[in-house]
Amino acid sequence: MRRKSALAAAATAALALVLSACGGGGGTPQQPAQSASGGAAQPAANVALSQVFNPSTKKGGTLKAAHSSDWDSLDPADTYYGYSFNFGRLYWRTLTMYKPGPGPEGATVVPDLAEGLGQPSSDGKTWTYKIKSGLKFEDGTPITAKDVAYAVARSFDKETFTHGPSYLNELLDWPKDFKGVYKTPDVDYKSAVEATDDTTVVFHLKKPFASMDYIVQMPMTAPVPKDKDTGAKYREHVISTGPYKFETVEAGKRLTLVRNDQWDPATDPNRPALPDRIEVQLNVNADDLDNQLIAGNIHLDVPGTGLQPAALGKVLPDPQLKARTDNPVLQRLWFVSVIPDTKPLDNPDCRKAVMWAADRVANQTAFGGPVAGGDIATNVMPPPIKGQQKFDLYQTPENKGDVNKAKEALAACGQPNGFSTTMSFRSDRPREKALAEAMQQALARVGIKLTLKGFPASSYFSDYAGNVEYVKKNGIGLAAHGWGSDWPDGYGFLQAIVDSRTIRPAGNYNLSVKNPEVDKLIDQASAELDATAREKLWVDVDKKVMEDASILPVVWAKALLLRGQGVTNLAYNEGQQAYDYILLGVQ
Amino acid sequence: MTAPLDVSGSAAEAHPESVLAGAGKAIQGRSLTRIAWMRLRRDKIALAGGVVVLLLIIMSIFSSPIIAAFGHPPLEFHQDAIDQNTLLPKGTFGGMSSEYLLGVEPVNGRDIFSRIVAGAGISLLIGFLATLVSVLIGTVMGVLAGYFGGWVDQVIGRIMDVFLAFPLLVFAIALAGVIPDKGFGLEGNGLRVAMLIFIIGFFSWPSIGRIVRGQTLSLREREFVDAARSLGARHGYILFREVLPNLMAPILVYATLLIPTNILFEAALSFLGVGINPPTPTWGGMLSEAVRFYTLPHFVLFPGLAIFITVLAFNLFGDGLRDAFDPRAH
Amino acid sequence: MLTYIIRRLIGALAMLIVISMVTFGIFYIVPQWAGATPEALASRYVGRAATPETVHLVAQKLGFYDPVVVQYGRFVKGLVAGAEYDYGAGVEQCPAPCFGYSFISGQPVWPDLLDRLPVTFSLAIGAAIIWVLAGIGVGVLSALRRGSFFDRLSMGTALAGVSLPIFFTGMITLVIFSYGLGWTAPGGAYTAFLDNPAQWAYNLLLPWITLAFLFAAGYARLTRAGMLETMGEDYIRTARAKGLREREVIVKHGLRAALTPILTLFGIDFGLLIGGAVLTETTYTLPGLGQYAILAIRNQDLPQVMGVVLIAALFVVIASLVVDLLYAVVDPRVRLS
Repeated sequence: MRRKSALAAAATAALALVLSACGGGGGTPQQPAQSASGGAAQPAANVALSQVFNPSTKKGGTLKAAHSSDWDSLDPADTYYGYSFNFGRLYWRTLTMYKPGPGPEGATVVPDLAEGLGQPSSDGKTWTYKIKSGLKFEDGTPITAKDVAYAVARSFDKETFTHGPSYLNELLDWPKDFKGVYKTPDVDYKSAVEATDDTTVVFHLKKPFASMDYIVQMPMTAPVPKDKDTGAKYREHVISTGPYKFETVEAGKRLTLVRNDQWDPATDPNRPALPDRIEVQLNVNADDLDNQLIAGNIHLDVPGTGLQPAALGKVLPDPQLKARTDNPVLQRLWFVSVIPDTKPLDNPDCRKAVMWAADRVANQTAFGGPVAGGDIATNVMPPPIKGQQKFDLYQTPENKGDVNKAKEALAACGQPNGFSTTMSFRSDRPREKALAEAMQQALARVGIKLTLKGFPASSYFSDYAGNVEYVKKNGIGLAAHGWGSDWPDGYGFLQAIVDSRTIRPAGNYNLSVKNPEVDKLIDQASAELDATAREKLWVDVDKKVMEDASILPVVWAKALLLRGQGVTNLAYNEGQQAYDYILLGVQ
Repeated sequence: MTAPLDVSGSAAEAHPESVLAGAGKAIQGRSLTRIAWMRLRRDKIALAGGVVVLLLIIMSIFSSPIIAAFGHPPLEFHQDAIDQNTLLPKGTFGGMSSEYLLGVEPVNGRDIFSRIVAGAGISLLIGFLATLVSVLIGTVMGVLAGYFGGWVDQVIGRIMDVFLAFPLLVFAIALAGVIPDKGFGLEGNGLRVAMLIFIIGFFSWPSIGRIVRGQTLSLREREFVDAARSLGARHGYILFREVLPNLMAPILVYATLLIPTNILFEAALSFLGVGINPPTPTWGGMLSEAVRFYTLPHFVLFPGLAIFITVLAFNLFGDGLRDAFDPRAH
Repeated sequence: MLTYIIRRLIGALAMLIVISMVTFGIFYIVPQWAGATPEALASRYVGRAATPETVHLVAQKLGFYDPVVVQYGRFVKGLVAGAEYDYGAGVEQCPAPCFGYSFISGQPVWPDLLDRLPVTFSLAIGAAIIWVLAGIGVGVLSALRRGSFFDRLSMGTALAGVSLPIFFTGMITLVIFSYGLGWTAPGGAYTAFLDNPAQWAYNLLLPWITLAFLFAAGYARLTRAGMLETMGEDYIRTARAKGLREREVIVKHGLRAALTPILTLFGIDFGLLIGGAVLTETTYTLPGLGQYAILAIRNQDLPQVMGVVLIAALFVVIASLVVDLLYAVVDPRVRLS
């Protein structure tokens, strides 16, 4: 890590010159750096996307962070926010982790607690991880494979840990009578996960699964000592395995981390652990948070979803402020579900009319424009997903929609004068509201009349757009929707939103793709062991969905992130889709 | 006078004392209306308020031709007037120009002037009709309680107490959040407007109910009611011919002062995101969007001023009306 | 007197019961009319990748399969006798009054309410001091100089004050004084009075003034009207004739009588404010009960909603009781029966 930082310092300075000359973009410098002066990099937009900005190995200081609301939970089994996974690595370690640092490598996984990546059995149903020796909890007790297995088993209890991901619930071969470590403490769960000795964790899967290394980088594999486990109250004091431990936790107010002296840097090449202290203020007014970040009073916006509109108007026109920004493309698609349960959208031609009539530029503007919103999406998978291909089945002049083609499609559908339907959106999300209004304007051009209905985000999927009965009864034809990937491959992104077999009465995320051919392709792709062939199959899934015209892509999301002042060792990590929080230091 | 709207209940209502005082005189003869009118005509400020109210009503009735003459359709996007990166209006002062009199909204570039004009209708409609609902319920309940007394009075009194103790705003938000999309033969925003009128009106009736009850109580003991009763008149006759006509003045005064409260209430609900569905423009809704763009003074100011001017005009007029019926204030 | 208080307390209790039932009904029965199943209700409170089994378990844990009456009974029982909460590794006692545990965060509601009450209380008390002093002061001066420029100006300002929506004035004052000039706190922060009184006042100054501006109007007008009325009474003339100084006449005799209606208004206003200054707290992002209420409703977190609604109602009830009792003290003509 240290060597890499020194190299990066030189490269960053050179890159800054190139960037300011050509005005942004990626690329590597053609000429060697001329004046790599001691690591003080020139600020320029997007520097931290490809390089470590302000590289440093200086320890000490307090990293001041802020959050505009609060965590769902600090418990590794009970959290499902990207920023939480990212930040959590300061106080927990998992079997694997995303490789820290900038560039495409950041989306690959490297071992963390484990000595190496997982060893699959030949049938792909058993995965074995060897963990390092010399690992300790914050109280000095050694970490063994049992603690990892126990952590995985405890995460099974979704009644206690409602927020956390349930991938391992579904993938592993749990005993029938196992109801979690609290309710059925005597049931042996070794058919799912077991510690065969102090350093070996073995996972037994129900069916072959290739992306296991991505799954075990999630916090469910962060070891939990059984005798310190307090169930839903564990979040109040998570026993640290990383370089920092809890000092104070005041729900809704603040969180303070201090150094964990039991963490041994020799076992951890990935975490430089620079600051002595990390303070997070919770429930800070979002606009005020931006202002403080700009002014340099705080170093980091923990959720890292980008600047608020008001700050955007301040930052973008100001060259000095703009030079402090990074503008990455995320593994996230904002889209409109075109729901075939609602007449006349059961007819594919009517759905295609929607595709042709939509004004993609207006939709992009509604979602925040090309900088804060994202790039116009032409298909489902976002570019950072491995093997993604960009294609466009509904190309229109200047992306503003094609009224004639839309009318042809309407005629083919037997609705030459258009039709009326309802579009739902989350009323507490201004961008979705703006999107709905833009869709209403664009579709009116071909006679499709939209009635707009806003619903609270908290019950959007349970009661409204994701509730099959509700959608049918109330004739919801279009629904604003967004989806982000848990890991950057086709399965991680697509499965939850296009597999029709995931659909249940309420709480759906796949609102509109009900095509047996799509399902068949998903099965083929999941079973394909060859990576290249698999990636191609996921592109086929994407194409099939676009032909089905049941998803209208809006933008591949981008975020405008602002680098805090006085922050060192800052880089955007593609796996975390945010600044890499474990690298950060302060001047 | 309008109750300050940041209490989550409706108890902080006007002070019935002065209204009552005025109404007491109203009973003594019809000429009082004429006297009140004469007084009102001398009150320049109240008249000014009345004129503004009248202008607002005219504006909302003729909103379409006004918008056609001076603006663009309120729902029409003008993204060419927006900077694609910052999403803010191009030009100075929020894009104000002869083309867009009050500038344009960020993101979609809709004409703020047109949206303000178009939003007047909803505000006034809800303000008036919700007041009508409260007046109807309040009068019926107040008259019943005051006239019959006894257990009727007790029951109605307790109901009013419950309403007054309700964290009203919290409650209205909760209710407005669960409004269905179809029902009572209405759909979409039609139903939402109707429901908002009902919610706002339904929760404001106890204040007017208290006043009517007090009035009825004192009227019941008056000679002319006694006379009617001793002549064998039925309850219905006494209520409709003797009591109600004498309640008209305080009800009118009080209703005028309730309208601005209800307008503010609607704006607050829209501001909190449980008002009318978009894209229909409302002033509260515009302000709620402006929060995200607080750096744009025009986007915050114009809808805010629209609410302020409307509410102030109603308050001035209502205040003058009350003074006119209440000589002691002079 | 004692029987009166007891009767009022029983009445207050009945009122709280009615309010809790109605609130419960809105959140439980209305969704059921709309056709929500227990699973649909539960899927509001689970993570984004919950399996049907998880949803079923959560529905069971939250008791959605029971009839509404049973669920309400459980709520009341928790309030009166406390409840038990299974946090996985053990069972926790939630002593009465137990408002239950948040459906979303799993945190007990009662400590949350206690935590936020001081914020709202601080907001209300500071604003109240300003508006009472300013309102009564301006009202007295206006009455004494009736028809003067000051009178007309202050009465005009009063009317303007009450016509301004606080979410508008709040935004404008924030933009000017906090974001622009940097004189006042930008909102969002609260420091306990005991931790740092100066910081406490600094954080609340802007909300205090804005909120007081809204209320002062009513108090000024009411004081003015009351003063005008009492200053014309016979006993004032008598007092003057006795040779008392004008200041004494105004304060001791005039103002005292004029204050009685203000007391009523103040009790109710203050009670309602403590129950949650929803708009003020939303505008200035103050972590008080009002903001809590809005968040709870947005998240449809029923135990939180029930808690905040009942607390708010409780304060109104207490306030009106206190007002009535004080009335008897201030005005000997009022007899409690």
